[in-house]
Amino acid sequence: MKKLQICTIGLSLLYIPQSFADITLNGFASIRATQVNSDGGSAPFGFKEGEITFKDESLFAIQARADLTEGLTATIQLYADGWNDFDVEARWAYISYQVADNHTINIGKLANPLFHQSEYEKVGYAHNFSRLPMAVYTGFDFATMEGISLNSQFDIADGDYTLDTKWLYGSWDGDITLNSIGNVDLGLKDILSFNATFSGDWWKVFAGAFVTEMVADSLDANSYIPAIQPGVQAALSLGATQSDVTKFTENVIWHEKDGLYWFAGFGIDRDDWILDFEYTNYGVQDSVDAPNENWYLALGKRFDSYVITIHAEESKQPEDYGFLNGINHPVLQATGKGLQGVLAASEWDGYGISLRYDFHPSAALKVDYFTGENQISDIGDYQIMSAGIDLVF
Amino acid sequence: MRYVNSILLLAISLIALNVQAITVIVHPSNVNALNKKTVKKIFLGKSKKFLDGSQVIPVDLTKGEARTQFLSTVIGKSESQLKAYWSKLIFTGKGQAPRKVDTEAEVIKLVSQNPNLIGYISDSAVDDSVKIAIKF
Repeated sequence: MKKLQICTIGLSLLYIPQSFADITLNGFASIRATQVNSDGGSAPFGFKEGEITFKDESLFAIQARADLTEGLTATIQLYADGWNDFDVEARWAYISYQVADNHTINIGKLANPLFHQSEYEKVGYAHNFSRLPMAVYTGFDFATMEGISLNSQFDIADGDYTLDTKWLYGSWDGDITLNSIGNVDLGLKDILSFNATFSGDWWKVFAGAFVTEMVADSLDANSYIPAIQPGVQAALSLGATQSDVTKFTENVIWHEKDGLYWFAGFGIDRDDWILDFEYTNYGVQDSVDAPNENWYLALGKRFDSYVITIHAEESKQPEDYGFLNGINHPVLQATGKGLQGVLAASEWDGYGISLRYDFHPSAALKVDYFTGENQISDIGDYQIMSAGIDLVF
Repeated sequence: MRYVNSILLLAISLIALNVQAITVIVHPSNVNALNKKTVKKIFLGKSKKFLDGSQVIPVDLTKGEARTQFLSTVIGKSESQLKAYWSKLIFTGKGQAPRKVDTEAEVIKLVSQNPNLIGYISDSAVDDSVKIAIKF
C-alpha cells in the first residue's frame, strides 16, 4: 500500500499539466511623485496638501489573455493603485467571442466606457499627460461594471475611414463619494451605453451616451433626506402641507431616476501637432443633481522623442432649479437651492503644461505642472507638480 | 575634380545602400493584391482578412533597419506612438499586437510555411521561398 502511495505521488510529480490555451501577459505601471499646494490649505482631488507622495498616483496592473482559439478568449486584469493602498483587485474579468471579423462580444466584468478614453484611462503610457484631465476623467467609482458589450468596426469609403462602435448593457453596485457627504451605497441598474468613433488617418470625432436607473434608496436615506430635514421642519412650521413636503422630497431624491452621461469631442494628430477636445455632461435627471459640465482642450507638439502638451480644463455645475417646478413654498424652494449649492460647491478650472520623454522603448518619463482655482474656499488657488514614469510591457 | 566626383559617387552609393526598399512578403500561393493602405491596416489590426476572404496574420520584426523604415514609410508612427496605439487596444480588449520575431530570416521561414501570414523584410533578404507582394 505504501509502495502504491509513493508511486502515485511520484507520477503526480512527474505530471506537468498542459495548458489548454495560449496565454498572453501584458501590463502597465505608473510610478509618480506628486506634490499639491493650495492657498486655502486643503488639497483638491483627494491629495494631501504640501506633501510629496510617491503613492497616490502610482499604480500597477497585469493582464492575462487566454486565446482558446476559434475566436474565444478569456481576459483578466489584476490592478492595484496607491489610492487604495495597492490592494489588488480584479478590475476586469471577461470572456470575448469574435462573432464575425468586425464584431466581438464581451461578457463579464468590463471597463465602463463612460467617456472616450475611460476604458484605458489608467494606462498612462497611452497618452501624453501625467494624468488625463481630471475635469473629464474624474475617477468614478463605477469605472467598471458587469454586463455584456458588443465591439464593432466598420470600413467606410473603401477603408479610408473607420467607424468603431460599442454597445453595452449591464449593472453596477458599490459605494460612491459625494462632496460634503462622504461614502454612500449606490447601484446602477439597466445600464445602456453606446459610443462611436469615426476616424480618418490623422483625425477622429467621437460621441457617446450612457443611461441607467439609479438604485439610490440608501444614498437618499443617508444623505439627501437628512440634509433637507431642517428645511422641511421649518417649512411645516410655516404652513407647508405634508403633500408639499412629499412632492419636494420626491423631486430631490435620486432613487429610481435616470442617470444620464454623455460626451463628444475630437482629436487631431498630424505633422507632429496634436489637438484634443472633449466635453462631458452628466447628472441624475429630475433630481437635485444639476448637470455637471466638463471639458478639456489640449495642444501638443511632438519633437522626436519628446512631446510638450499644454491644456486647459474646467468642471462646473451650473444651477438648474427645474426640480423645484411645482414647489411653491419659499422655505422648501430655499432648501432645495441650498442643497444644490452644496453639491455644486466644488466647481474648478485649471491649466497645465506636460513634458513626455520616451527614453526607453517601453517607458516614458513625464513631468508636469498644473494650476487652477477651486471654488471651495478651503482650497482656492492650487498647484500640482509631478514627475514619473509610465510603462507598458 | 575626379576626386570630388568619386566622393560624390561613393556618398550616393552609401545613401542608396542605406535606403533599401521594404518588401512585403506573402506565401508563394497567395494571389491577393495589396497596397500601402491595406498593408497598414493589416499591421494595425484593422484588417483581418485578405481580399479573397482568407485570414491574414501579420508577422512583425522586433527591431532593425527594416522595422524602422516600415514604421516610417508604411505605418507612419514612431515606436512609442505605435506602442501607445497598441496599449489602447490591448488594455481595452480590442486587439493584440502582431507576433514579433527577431530576424528577417525568421519572417521568411514563417511566411514560407503559412499562406495566412504576411511579413516585411529588407529587399536584399528576399529569397525564392516567399512571394513579393509589394515594395515601398
